[in-house]
Amino acid sequence: MSLFRRDWTPIEAEEWTAHDLWASIFSVLAYLLTAVGVAGALLFQVWGFAATVAGVACIVLMIRIIDPKLRAISVEFETKEAHYLERLDRATRWEDQDGR
Amino acid sequence: MIETQLLVRFTPLDWMWTVLFIVLMTLCGVIFYRLGKQSESEFFLAGRGLPWWLPAVSIYATHTATDTPMWIGGTIYKWGLRGIWYPFFVGWCAVSAFVSTRIFRRSLAMSQAEWQNLRYSGLPAELLRGWLAGWQTFMNMFVVAWVSAAMGKVCFYLFGWPPWFGITFFTSICAVYVLAAGYWGVIMSDFQQGVIAFFVITLVSVWGIVEAGGPLAILAKLDALGQGWRANPFHFDGLWGLDANHFYVMDFVTLLVMATLGGLGMGNFIDWYPEAQRIQSARSVRDASYSIWAGGLATVFRNSFWAVSILAFFVMFPAIDAEAQYEMGWFRIGFEHMPSGLLGMFFAGIIAIHLSTIASHLNLGALYATRDLYHHYVNPRATEAQLVRAGRWNTLAILLGAFLLGVFMQSITSWLIFALWLQAAGIWVPSILQVVWWRFNAWAYLASWIANLVMSWLVVWVLPALGVLPELPNWVNFWLLAGLVALVYVPVTFLTAPDERDHLVRYYVMARPLGWWGPVRAEAVRRGLVTPAGDLRLEDAR
Repeated sequence: MSLFRRDWTPIEAEEWTAHDLWASIFSVLAYLLTAVGVAGALLFQVWGFAATVAGVACIVLMIRIIDPKLRAISVEFETKEAHYLERLDRATRWEDQDGR
Repeated sequence: MIETQLLVRFTPLDWMWTVLFIVLMTLCGVIFYRLGKQSESEFFLAGRGLPWWLPAVSIYATHTATDTPMWIGGTIYKWGLRGIWYPFFVGWCAVSAFVSTRIFRRSLAMSQAEWQNLRYSGLPAELLRGWLAGWQTFMNMFVVAWVSAAMGKVCFYLFGWPPWFGITFFTSICAVYVLAAGYWGVIMSDFQQGVIAFFVITLVSVWGIVEAGGPLAILAKLDALGQGWRANPFHFDGLWGLDANHFYVMDFVTLLVMATLGGLGMGNFIDWYPEAQRIQSARSVRDASYSIWAGGLATVFRNSFWAVSILAFFVMFPAIDAEAQYEMGWFRIGFEHMPSGLLGMFFAGIIAIHLSTIASHLNLGALYATRDLYHHYVNPRATEAQLVRAGRWNTLAILLGAFLLGVFMQSITSWLIFALWLQAAGIWVPSILQVVWWRFNAWAYLASWIANLVMSWLVVWVLPALGVLPELPNWVNFWLLAGLVALVYVPVTFLTAPDERDHLVRYYVMARPLGWWGPVRAEAVRRGLVTPAGDLRLEDAR
């Protein structure tokens, strides 16, 4: 399965896959490199600029990997949301699932 | 309380900036009065329809409070650039954006307390919801109190105003638009305040770096002082050790593990609770994910600016011993080195930072008191008008309680390291387990909370004060607390029954959690409620 896959069906997107793992890894790397990189760049250190650029690269990779999947999940979930919200409201009001 | 004061003289231009910004910020919130009063969902979640960038700016603004430059300033002044790993706990957003944020947004729970009710079943779930709702109502009051105390400290430092005035005046202004427009007021003024705060933080930090002679001069002065190590974020005092005045590799590893793996769970950190509200206010799962991710990254970016400006402050004032004085470093850069005219803009930025945090926590505390206590337990048949009215009364009660608490708080840095980190230690693993393991139940989570509250006070404050335990470094405290609390919740998990199967299946189908959910998933598949993607591909092949 390609890491940069774009054609997710809603049912496939609902499963946890390697894409979620890789997106999380690149996301953490982006945070780490930003923390170190921006501080280093403000001190005019070469390693600071290099880390900042690497952080931006991680962000691009993360978005390319996860965005198509997130779009598919959102589309699928929004079709069910109204029903779920109704059920949640009944639970808060201590009513049965059928509204009594 | 700090012993010295810097009495600032404002010109008419400075006062003009200050008043203009206060009026703009207040109006920005109040004009959403009509939207906010429509329903409980509008008053607390802006109708669940926000694009990702609005909650993202709000997350950044909420993470940026008046006390934040004090505790980050205090941390960097004490530890050098390696101190940047303390505020890196915001790294949980990096993982959460693609794991727990997605799961929580799909649950549609208005609050974390309500989520407990969806995840767990029966009496223990209700106990847990009530407990968390009460705790969060108090905690938000506490946060408003300590942030207001920080504002009182800044105003005393700048103008010599009595602390009670600084504590109450600006927080009361903020309460106007939170009472009027609820979360709509919070989110729209947060957007404006977040942009102002970002601009002012960048400007003042760069100003400080320039005042210290520029980046290369800061490095040269650090070397001349024999403090060159302060510019290295990876400078450690050895692999591990028990001296609380050293920073070990184990401190770094613990902070990194806690921050990143913490993103798998819900409720690991006190910041989760305001962010959970933002997650649910986003218009889709995708918007929720990006809002958490971007808000967290902006916070990391901001931390680095503050950190380097505190290095600049250090080379200008290298021999300050009192924590209460050096934690004011960033404020001193601004007020001692910026020209008249810009001082007012700086102060307006501080007000923006202050109001954004106060507004969020006033509304959030009222959410727990209204949705989880009043609506669920006191008046389940309440109309939308009654719920909005209850929301406003609860906001007011939290405000008044915070004023009382605020006047008792002294040192900001110690409180925050305790509240943000150590107090999270015992529930860190259980907060992950409740998301990723079907067998973890409400009794176990409740037990971990109670055990953690008792043990964190004992290990961090009481036993060292009595001489029973030595003062331990933070990384040891964290793992010690995690281990001690596990001795309570692990047996409780296995000695009590799992949650009802029907309830778990319903939750699984809705939220699709990650982890060890095999038996629940199998049941959902058996009932035809979940179609495994593998089966789908098999059908396509036929």
